[in-house]
Amino acid sequence: MNEIMNPSISRIHCFLSELFKRVLSAGGVADHLHGRFRVDATAWAMMVLKTQDLESEVVKVAGDRLLDYQMSDGRVVIAVDHPEAVWPTPLAVLAWQNSDAHYDAWQRAVKFLLRSTGVHWKKPDNDTVGHDTLIPGWPWIDQTHSWVTPTSLSMLALTVAGYGEHSRVTAGADLLLDRQLLTGGWNYGNSSVLGTQLRPFPETTGMALNALAGRVPREAVAPSLRYLQGCLPTLRTPLSLGWSILGLQAWSSSPAHTEKWIYETLERGSRYGGHDTASLCVLFAASLATKGLESLVRHNVD
Amino acid sequence: MFFRSYSNSTWTRRTFLKVLLAGSTLVASSPCTASMSRESRLSAQVFIGRTGSYESNLRNVIERGLQELGISATEMNGKKILLKPNLVETHMASAHINTHPLVIRAAVEAFLSLGARQVVVGEGPGHRRDALHILEESGLGDVLYEDRIPFMNLNEQVGDPVQNLGQCTALSTLTFPAVFRDIDWIVSMPKLKTHHWAGVTLSMKNLFGVLPGLYYGWPKNVLHHQGIHESILDIYATLKPHFAIVDGIVGMEGDGPIMGDPKPMGVVVMGRNFPSVDATCARLMGVNPHNIPYLRAAEGWLGAINEAGIEQRGEPIRAHRQDFALLDHIPAQQGLRLNE
Repeated sequence: MNEIMNPSISRIHCFLSELFKRVLSAGGVADHLHGRFRVDATAWAMMVLKTQDLESEVVKVAGDRLLDYQMSDGRVVIAVDHPEAVWPTPLAVLAWQNSDAHYDAWQRAVKFLLRSTGVHWKKPDNDTVGHDTLIPGWPWIDQTHSWVTPTSLSMLALTVAGYGEHSRVTAGADLLLDRQLLTGGWNYGNSSVLGTQLRPFPETTGMALNALAGRVPREAVAPSLRYLQGCLPTLRTPLSLGWSILGLQAWSSSPAHTEKWIYETLERGSRYGGHDTASLCVLFAASLATKGLESLVRHNVD
Repeated sequence: MFFRSYSNSTWTRRTFLKVLLAGSTLVASSPCTASMSRESRLSAQVFIGRTGSYESNLRNVIERGLQELGISATEMNGKKILLKPNLVETHMASAHINTHPLVIRAAVEAFLSLGARQVVVGEGPGHRRDALHILEESGLGDVLYEDRIPFMNLNEQVGDPVQNLGQCTALSTLTFPAVFRDIDWIVSMPKLKTHHWAGVTLSMKNLFGVLPGLYYGWPKNVLHHQGIHESILDIYATLKPHFAIVDGIVGMEGDGPIMGDPKPMGVVVMGRNFPSVDATCARLMGVNPHNIPYLRAAEGWLGAINEAGIEQRGEPIRAHRQDFALLDHIPAQQGLRLNE
């Protein structure tokens, strides 16, 4: 089954043209047009460039540049003077996936994900947050609690890496289900505080739906799918629209005609001097994939 | 630029010398804990402006406040100013979550009219990576686009670690956006709100949003683990921001900072010294500032919160005090009520 759709040639050229303007001569990709190297932007650019079966040297050199941000224990950090900021690790795993040149780095990053977790504790009976604080997931920053975005991305990375049945990934799914809002969707990862239910966000809902696809029955996430379907037509920012489309795709629930929304979102970037690279790549990924982010990266693998 | 000398702040030379001389006795403790036992020797001016609604002439109110507080064209001339609003989340019928776009527009106009070289708006929302979505849904995106005011997503800004001058948390450094080097004046523009963890969220708590999510996460959980009140003090003591303009036209009471109810107050509160501004806001909300841990700790160290130490300009507190709902099931809001 073809899991990468064929958006119009002009759309692909538009994305790629914008992306190549951000490729740095020293290797890697800048955070913005005329910006500076960024780990997450580079990883995202590698993921989408691989789908186009071209510029393999650009991808190889970008992957080399990511090595500068990998610590000895395998973590990949946003800046070497902030070794606690471990959240780019799953992105690096996805970017290095199936790259012979980066196999060792990929393997060390995978092992880091398998053995690292957020800070978890048994909450007292009168605790103020609604979720189960003991279920292990992944944090944004080392030595802090686990949250929805890093847990979702780490689950996706480990699944693509062949560890989909690992107990850590299974526990990650438990964490996401536990933190799903009763009304549907996910926010950053607190379902309720002091007894008050909080509100969902589109982008984190899209990520969690990607991570849970194929793991839980549809009924388990049905309210979240309804939430995203309801807000999708109003979204015109790349992170929210891109992740929402990817999330719905992963459950075969994406509307057929999202091209107009993607186009409008790209156009709206001119208000802000262009969108940042990572966000742009999320939107590009949504434009290319048909069954969520995992399908896109697996196509890279195949 | 943003690491101001204390000599330019509201600290008096006498106070500064006192702290320096006391250094040997503070070694075993932090400036944070040491300050709690000191009496206030600081004073500050705080302005309360009255306005009927967001459709009123807010620029006039802010300009009057700047004038009352002695902020002149000479001081503003050529400065690049960062306005830091409070953008948290957006939700239909919940405009009272975020600083209103028209207050921000009025501040932009007021600073430019005083000769500021440039005004930019920057925020690093604590809950959401998609800051652009909040910007657009809050209505601020349209205002900034129409007025050609740049927006900086502070969460995505790279930065360098600097020494934590507050020492209230265990963090040895704090990382602020590197772009702050080009900023002459940082203006905190919070919403007047209650908060389920901190009791209230005002000009000092609003500074959480200057720390990039790249290094602190979404939420900025590093700060939560270190202690919210302690983090508030560290950020303020290290950043030394310059001015506060609080949107108290419609505040939030009860289960703030996102799930509370709107509270029309019709005021804008302004000042150079954040603890004094926040103490004044607390009194307007019917909250005793001495019962807010970060304000109690700031007294005599970072600013004045005693009424005697705050010179009130504009409207009197008594005329505008409206007690904000404080909820029994929220521990941080218990025991805060200011007695008549």
